Order: sequence, then structure tokens, then C-alpha cells
Amino acid sequence: MAILNTKRRWGAVSQLLHWLIVALIIVQVTLASMADDLPSGMKKLSLLARHKSVGITILMLAILRLLWRWMNPTPALPQTLRSWEQSLARLTHVLLYVLLFAMPLSGWTMSSARGFPVSWFGFFQLPDLVPKNKSLYEALLMTHSTLAWVLGAVVALHVAAALKHHFMLKDDVLRRMLPFTNTTQGPKT
Amino acid sequence: MRTVLLITAAAMVIVAHAADAPQVPQVPHYALDQSKSTLAFSFVQAGAQNQGRFTRFPVNFDFSPDNLAAGHLEVVVEMGSLDTGDQERDDTLRGADMFAVTKFPQSHFTATQFAKTATGFEAVGKLTLRGVTRDARVPFSFRTATENGMTVGYMNGKTSIKRLDYGVGQGDWKSTEWVGADVGVSFALRLTAH
Repeated sequence: MAILNTKRRWGAVSQLLHWLIVALIIVQVTLASMADDLPSGMKKLSLLARHKSVGITILMLAILRLLWRWMNPTPALPQTLRSWEQSLARLTHVLLYVLLFAMPLSGWTMSSARGFPVSWFGFFQLPDLVPKNKSLYEALLMTHSTLAWVLGAVVALHVAAALKHHFMLKDDVLRRMLPFTNTTQGPKT
Repeated sequence: MRTVLLITAAAMVIVAHAADAPQVPQVPHYALDQSKSTLAFSFVQAGAQNQGRFTRFPVNFDFSPDNLAAGHLEVVVEMGSLDTGDQERDDTLRGADMFAVTKFPQSHFTATQFAKTATGFEAVGKLTLRGVTRDARVPFSFRTATENGMTVGYMNGKTSIKRLDYGVGQGDWKSTEWVGADVGVSFALRLTAH
């Protein structure tokens, strides 16, 4: 598999970033829902600290991903798609990128507004994005959890579309984001 | 006869001084101007520096840089007055595993020994926190000023204490993984002479 993207297929770096972020988002949802059920205490503190560190990691990976996308060709959408389907696909991808930034940034800002500075796994402390402000914290908490549900909905659409391409349209849209699969033949006719 | 008189006179002088000493304070007495004073603490929580403060901590201080031997410092910290800017965290800190303020509502620092240092002074005394008393040394600077015809003293300093030495952190909180062992303490006091 090539390192760089081609017109046909995502390269190794793009795939690694995609699947790494998928795994980390699963970690995030797990940590957040475990913490939500706990009373305040050491356990909650540690879960939320990890949630924040992983969130900052996703933010850093999202920046890399966007840079990498600009430096590489983007595999084209299948010609078979109707124009509204192409628009929907583009919109879904734009939303996913926006959310990859909006989730960690709203979380980070929310921590600052709460007055709990964010540290990246204890290695370094991030600057506060806003001064402490209780009502801003409450608004951002609402924003952060609403965006989490929006992300869930967009991801569901994204996964459904990928599966539709693979099983119903039988094209290589899913396979070209998977390692160890051969897509050099292009879409089956 | 002469010797007897001399001895008697000397004895009288000694007795007079001994009687005088406790009655006439050799040094000014200061009390805290609470509204213009801060007592803050800082701690590492989940890798990040966090701050808190106490809002009630009466101070009584007899002190003159010219007569360190007569110095006496008494600080009483009302532990319930702690404020880290977060209700949930404040409740945790007041709870049984941390400061246990119901059982130990006050902490004390009492010092009767003072020394001059290169940068200011050092108070040597005993700190009682969460029912545990240990020796503590607190460096500080001290200067006086006259404001509206009144003598005021400004006392500033910072030190660091190991919370587990005083049992601050029971159960889960004994671990220093998420809340650091070292707690920074800083103070900026405005004292008025009485």
C-alpha cells in the first residue's frame, strides 16, 4: 500500500489517521459514559482526565489529517452517484471534519470555563481558552453533549453509506479505506 | 555592708526587670485585615495546576525585626472557608477523606522562634492540620508602613507542604497519581498594629 493517497485509494497515512481516530472516539464515548454515572471522586476525576487527554490527541490528529488531506489527492467519488448523493457525501465529510475540531475544542473551552485546566496525560498543561465562567461552562457542557449526539448521527450516516457502497452498490468506496484489500481493479462492472 | 547593698540593689534590678518583662510588650501587636489579605494554595490535579484560597484565617502577630526573640505568631485557618471556585471540588475537599472539616474545623500555625534570613525572616513553629501536628518552617518578608496615621505590616511568603504528612487524602485520595503530594501555600497579609 502506498504511503500517499492516489486518485483511486487512500494511502497508508490517511488510513492510519482515519482508523486511529475511530478507535479514539470509541475510547472517548466509553470514558465519558463511565464518568457520567459516577459521583464526584477520584475515579471520576481520573476518567475525565483521560477523556480530556484523548480529546486533545484527537484534536492533534485532526489537524494532521486536514494538513495531510491538503497535501494529497483525494480519491474521487464514484461516478455512479447522483448529484444529490455526491452533495450529501461531501456534506457528511465536511460535518465529520468540523465535529473532529468542535468536539475537543468545546470540551477544552468547557474545562477552562469550569476552572479545571487541561493537561495532556500529565506531560504538559494546556493554556485556558477562556476565563472561569459558570454560565459559559453550563452552556458549553450542553454544547459538548449535543455535539456528541450530532457526531453519533453523522457517523451512523457515514457508516451506513460505506456499508451500502460495499454490499449494495458493490463498489470500492469502503475497500479503499481498508488496508490489505486490493482495489487496483477499480469498481467492478 | 557595701557588698550587701550592692547585692540587694542588683537583686532589685533583676526582680524589677523580671516583673516588667511579661507586662510591657516589647514589640507591636498586629491583627489581620481580613479583607485585604490572601491565603492561597495550589495543587496539581490531573497534571494541571489548580488554585484555591481560604477566606477566614485570623492572624495574631507580635513582631519586631529588632526583637525577634519576643516574636509570636498565631494563625488559625477556618478550614470550612476554603474556596477553589468549584462547588463540587470544595465539597470533596471539605469531606472526611480530605480536610474533614466537621471533625477538624480549624488548622493552626503557631511560631515563637524567628530568624533572619538572606531574603527576610523565617518562622519556626508547629502546624496542626487535620489533627496532625508537625514542625514547620515558613519563610516570609515583613515591612511596615504608616497609612492614615496607623501602623500596618505587610507579611508575604510562600512555602510548600506534603499533604499526606497530615493525612489530607484518605482512601482513594492517598494516591498522588491524580492529586499531587505537594501543596503550595502562599500568603499576602495586611496586618494592623493595635
